[in-house]
Amino acid sequence: MNQTLNRTKSELEDSAMDTSRLTQRIRQTQQSDEQGQTGVAIMIKDLHKRYGDTEVLKGIDMEVKSGEVISIIGPSGAGKSTLLRCINALERPSSGSVTVYGMDLSDPKTNIDKVREHVGMVFQHFNLFPNMSVAENIMLAPRMLHKTPKEDAYQQALDLLEIVGLKEKADVRPTDLSGGQQQRVAIARALAMNPAVMLFDEATSALDPEMVGDVLEVIRSLAEGGMTMILVTHEMGFAREVSSRVIFTDAGVIEEEGTPEQIFGTPQSPRLRSFLSKVL
Amino acid sequence: MHVMPLRKVLGGTQSLSRWVAALLALLLGMAALAGTVVTTGAPAQASTISRAVKGKTFRIATDTTFAPFEFRDTTGELVGIDMDLIQQIAKTEGFKVEIQSLGFNAALQALTSKQADAVIAGMTITEDRKQVYDFTDPYFDSGVQMAIAKDNEEIKGYKDLKGAIVAVKTGSEGEAFAKRNASKYGYTVKAVDQSSTMYEMVKSGNAQAVIDDYPVLAYGITQGNGLKTVTAKVRGGSYGVAVNKGQNQDFVAAFNEGLAKMKTDGTYNKLLKKYLGGQGTTGKGAAAHKLSFFGLVRQSFPALMLGLKNTLLITAMAFVIALLIGIILGLWRVSPNRILSWVARIYVAIFRGTPVLVWAFFFYLGVPQLIGHKISIWLAGALTLSLNSGAYLVEIVRGAIQSVDTGQMEGARSLGLTRRMALRRVILPQAVRIATPSIINQLVIMLKDSSLLLAIGFGELLYQAQQIYAANFRVTETLFMVGVIYFVAITLLTWLANILDKRMNR
Repeated sequence: MNQTLNRTKSELEDSAMDTSRLTQRIRQTQQSDEQGQTGVAIMIKDLHKRYGDTEVLKGIDMEVKSGEVISIIGPSGAGKSTLLRCINALERPSSGSVTVYGMDLSDPKTNIDKVREHVGMVFQHFNLFPNMSVAENIMLAPRMLHKTPKEDAYQQALDLLEIVGLKEKADVRPTDLSGGQQQRVAIARALAMNPAVMLFDEATSALDPEMVGDVLEVIRSLAEGGMTMILVTHEMGFAREVSSRVIFTDAGVIEEEGTPEQIFGTPQSPRLRSFLSKVL
Repeated sequence: MHVMPLRKVLGGTQSLSRWVAALLALLLGMAALAGTVVTTGAPAQASTISRAVKGKTFRIATDTTFAPFEFRDTTGELVGIDMDLIQQIAKTEGFKVEIQSLGFNAALQALTSKQADAVIAGMTITEDRKQVYDFTDPYFDSGVQMAIAKDNEEIKGYKDLKGAIVAVKTGSEGEAFAKRNASKYGYTVKAVDQSSTMYEMVKSGNAQAVIDDYPVLAYGITQGNGLKTVTAKVRGGSYGVAVNKGQNQDFVAAFNEGLAKMKTDGTYNKLLKKYLGGQGTTGKGAAAHKLSFFGLVRQSFPALMLGLKNTLLITAMAFVIALLIGIILGLWRVSPNRILSWVARIYVAIFRGTPVLVWAFFFYLGVPQLIGHKISIWLAGALTLSLNSGAYLVEIVRGAIQSVDTGQMEGARSLGLTRRMALRRVILPQAVRIATPSIINQLVIMLKDSSLLLAIGFGELLYQAQQIYAANFRVTETLFMVGVIYFVAITLLTWLANILDKRMNR
């Protein structure tokens, strides 16, 4: 499984398909990463988000380095999902800036669609397209955006489905799959664009408990393959296991951050301690 | 092994166009079917009969239906006093005529614009008209007359009308006469649009008497419309044939000569008698034989099928335009662009907030005066229906798009697809599936609404029915047939559309 993943990653690096500035920046970042330096993938500065009178994010500063796996935890309504959705511009910040591989998302000149091609997102409710087969779901973006020939795109879809263990489901409709299977297809779909970063928005929250394991297994293998990832999650055990860093948000601010050992082993702030005592 | 599924890959919005094409093929197929029945039934178009051996051809414009002066007989042939008269005179005088059945106003327009040489359409000679046209000698002395139900023995004259309701035709001489005398005899005047409606009112007891143009009334009685006259006719205007002032004087002279000959040799009186019966007729013994219901069906079937064909054709035309409007403006309506969104919103508000009939009259009668150019009845009809239905389709499309889960758009956009791509490949195919039953519903509504176009004289199904019972006065039976035809056509259409829906939208 990991071999296939690494192959996908190296394909991204070797790819001569897209020579946009963004791709070059991603490549530079990843090369510097391999040389032992750490390149910055995502930079968030003083991010505020208001809905009417309600301020959901009250000044977030954070930096994600290439190759990092970051879990964002915290109580409901803390703004975790909003923060994640700001990273691929599904939400527009009220103020502050989000920079993805050097591209400022609030800059009107930035092509948001181009940035999104490199930022995969997995949603709580999968958001698969019911009017297409599983394979078609995965092929859509490469076919539309990279003009990948049909046969190649289909082969890529089969490869990705093999990674998530659903190769035999290529030609069925998503609605014929279980929740866990649908979420694995959604992950495969996001990977089809060879993203540099993957965002997971409570990817297992809508699943039956017996389905959670398979999905986490796929995410874990991605982490082990070196994918830069940000996870909003309620799976504390999993966050502790796969994360390189854990961020605890509460009431729109980052309350505490650190290694999994620090956050789960020696929590400092009273709010984090009270949160952990409730969920663990 | 994976070749087959690949074929089906990314159907996207192609399925929509395929679906519409199939639905259209269906409508047109039905129209063609109705058309075949027409052609096998009887020739629907009047043919120009020219039996003259020499001389000029005159283009004669006339009304569509003004029985007994011009109307279509059961075979679809244009007949009547005017038609018989002009043909006979043409024969004796040795010229040819080319009849254009246009409707009264259109006939006059054709004359003014020299598309026609003369108008014969039961046209009263008035001082005003003499300013613009030259008339032949009067060929018919008209007037108004009162009629009552055949079995009514109580009303013997105007004085018996106290407290009664008298039906008249809007804008007619009869109406003017009835209103002039209403207070004198103590009756109430009720104006309606059609002769056949007035007669039905009297027969059903909703009115006690009718005052109408004497020839129209006399003809109705010969056709067994169930009425009788008890008072003498009131002398009114005289009818003449009009030409443009100072033009076609040779035609006027020939007509006058031919008319004089007919009056002398008795053919003129014979002609009048053929359509009007004897004076003071009670209707007894008239309508020599009354057709059985099935005879009536057989007789009116060709005309009704022609009407059905027109109904289906205009519905198909209007449906294509309406669907285009619905999809384009529906997308505008949900567009983040405020201007587009408001354009769509205003369009919907205007066309949903106004009756179909208003637009029918506006496009057919109003717009030509604004742009100074005639608008074909097909265009006016199709515009009316499509703009009205389009407004509802905009709302159907908007509702369908908005009912697609927002996660679908987010899912597509998160992959880097543009809004346009996401709409086309992800949102619209799902919206179409959601909207299909409502779209079929709208199609059925449109098909039924097309009957409103009879108001501007479009030859659709109900219009043809009116033409039929204007001539034979079998109102109830004809309407029953029309109801059955609509019902069968719509049931068939919905049934087939639903099968298509299941096939194409799985």
